[in-house]
Amino acid sequence: MTVPLAKTGGARVPDAVWRWAIVLLGAILVGVALSTPMVLPVVRLLLGALGLVFAYAGASRLLRARFGPDFDPGVWLAGSWLVLIVLAAATADLLPLPESLDPSKALTEPTYAAPSAAHLLGTDQYGLDVLGQIVYGARVSLVVGLGGVLIGGTIGTLLGLTASYLRGRVDGAVGWGTDVLLSFPPLVLLMALAAVLEPRTRNICLALGILVIPSFVRLSRAAGLKVAGQPFVLMARAMGATRRRILFREILPNILPSVLSYALLVVAILIVAEASLSFLGLSIQRPAPTWGNMIAEAEAEFQTHPFLLAPAVPLFLTVYSINRIGDFLRAGKEGD
Amino acid sequence: MAGQVTVAETRPAGKSALPAGRGRTRRAKTARYVLSRVVRLLSIIAGVTFISFFLLKLTPGDPVATALGPEATPEQAARLRASLGLDRPVWEQYLDWLRGVVTGDFGSTLSQPSRPVSGELAARLPVTLQLIGLTVVLSLAIAIPLAVWSAHRAGRTFDRAVSSVLYGFVAMPGFVAALLLVMLFVFHADAVRTAGLALACAALALTLVAAFRARRREASPLPALIGGGAAVLVGGAVYALLPEFPRQGFVPVSDGLGANLTSVALPVFALTFVDIAVFTRLLRGDLIGELAKPHVLASRAKGMSTAHVLVRESLRPSMFSLITVVGLTIGQLIGGTIIVEHVFRLPGVGSLLVASVRNGDYPVVQAAIFVIAAVYVTVNSLIDIAYTYLDPRVRQVNPV
Repeated sequence: MTVPLAKTGGARVPDAVWRWAIVLLGAILVGVALSTPMVLPVVRLLLGALGLVFAYAGASRLLRARFGPDFDPGVWLAGSWLVLIVLAAATADLLPLPESLDPSKALTEPTYAAPSAAHLLGTDQYGLDVLGQIVYGARVSLVVGLGGVLIGGTIGTLLGLTASYLRGRVDGAVGWGTDVLLSFPPLVLLMALAAVLEPRTRNICLALGILVIPSFVRLSRAAGLKVAGQPFVLMARAMGATRRRILFREILPNILPSVLSYALLVVAILIVAEASLSFLGLSIQRPAPTWGNMIAEAEAEFQTHPFLLAPAVPLFLTVYSINRIGDFLRAGKEGD
Repeated sequence: MAGQVTVAETRPAGKSALPAGRGRTRRAKTARYVLSRVVRLLSIIAGVTFISFFLLKLTPGDPVATALGPEATPEQAARLRASLGLDRPVWEQYLDWLRGVVTGDFGSTLSQPSRPVSGELAARLPVTLQLIGLTVVLSLAIAIPLAVWSAHRAGRTFDRAVSSVLYGFVAMPGFVAALLLVMLFVFHADAVRTAGLALACAALALTLVAAFRARRREASPLPALIGGGAAVLVGGAVYALLPEFPRQGFVPVSDGLGANLTSVALPVFALTFVDIAVFTRLLRGDLIGELAKPHVLASRAKGMSTAHVLVRESLRPSMFSLITVVGLTIGQLIGGTIIVEHVFRLPGVGSLLVASVRNGDYPVVQAAIFVIAAVYVTVNSLIDIAYTYLDPRVRQVNPV
């Protein structure tokens, strides 16, 4: 991609120098993007993005040369982003952030301020700090994503497991219910649930949980059917094991790995689902910040204040990181 | 081994060569399979009506109060309650609603002035359908060439670049994509034009360099010229022909096709992001599998051109799962246009649903989610059934 046009016969430049040169070029571009307030924001954004791409390409070459060709810096970056966002969300109350929750305490702050040392990502229409809101919004996104998966995954896996082992009428009923729930496009079902439930974190978790029950039922039913046909299950039955023991001690541990790796991807899907719902104004209401409702509020003003769209970046990065790590884990499992 | 050969492979060329009666049994089998699918579909739609009706019945708050506002007198409220049938048992209301659904009558809206819900839906359906149609066509037009070339160059720079960009597409929520498009093409259209010009110039220079280097190596300069030429054309077209996109709103076809297309262009682009990624990944995987098969090797050994090998030998047999996914996508888009319709203020079914959920106009919500879900399952079942006619193997692995 960035192979230099080396002249044949001339003295070759060592590879390491090229790698460092790419990193340096990237760093310079990012520096220029950060330090030129005169230029159009779009141009600065493009320069910064280009710089990051160069820095990443150079750094990944350096790291591959150091740690071998199998080293995937993308996965490490994704992992560190997730650690960072989880830590930030967990310690939000302790971080030295300007006021970002209560509009009445931010009356003296400037509204729609551009990014500065006091407000790293600027302020919104109430003078609340955008960075602080992003950190508190991360808390909502993560809690809702994990909570939804926990609820939906537990119920769905248990239902699917039972259906796969009992077969017959139970299987038919569970299958029918699954198909009925799956016949609503996800966002439509979510909106219908949101219309019924009062928008609070607990209820949003519940709605998201209901949303993902059918896919967990399908997954665990298919996996359960495969395991239930294996000899050790037959042997357990022959030895007189109870139904509960067979379900929870013989079959469940064997389907758990695939359920868990799927659950990780579902967290990403649910984070997007909650953000979409928030964006439509049907989830947690302002002034409590979520990434979705911050972007919804920014929609009216982002022509003049593009920095209000900042929550889109952590949203994208979080979903991207989770997908990346999920794929990495799956590839590793298939490779073994 | 002979006993394991499937019926499909041993089927003689002419129908007259079939043993008497076998054709009829097979047709009967297919008919029974189709019938079982239809029965299943009807039972699921019955479940859908149940959820659409009773879920919305759980809504907190009084629909009559929502409709009339705080100044209504008790008499007015009682009259509206009676006219909506809310004073009767829930089961009767459900049966009433079902009767209406069968005849296409979904009641009237709660928000005043009261209009028939079916009319509201019918007026908004064409917008959503146009979005869906354009999205699918555009995604396929972009995804198929990308997938073919990625599979041809699997593991090389082009393939890796395409798959990492598509990875980003998948992680981009719909509303973020829509807002980014607005920011670029509406607020900073000049910057986009400049970028198009820059792209065209850069592509031109790179193409010329690549073509000369290919000549020196006595290889054909054609691939470089085609690829680079396409990039130059795209860049030039962006620079010269980029129209002014409206920030929001919809222009019907009756006011001119050009105005109509520019008003739906950005929403359609925003919707294609995810579909392009899904289609390309799927087709690329299938194509790589197909390219490894013996008939492709044989075709290459005979000296057939790359284009023939890619399109005739591999693309055609790989289209099968793509067609299924396209069908599923059409079904999903019926509910998936909600966000985009909301961002661009398009008068489609999705924006109707958002507005009604916000206003608590529950007859509209019931009707909208029922129609969306019913269309979605019906499309999926039709694909299943069509599959049994297209690919006889399905009938055999799913015996009735």
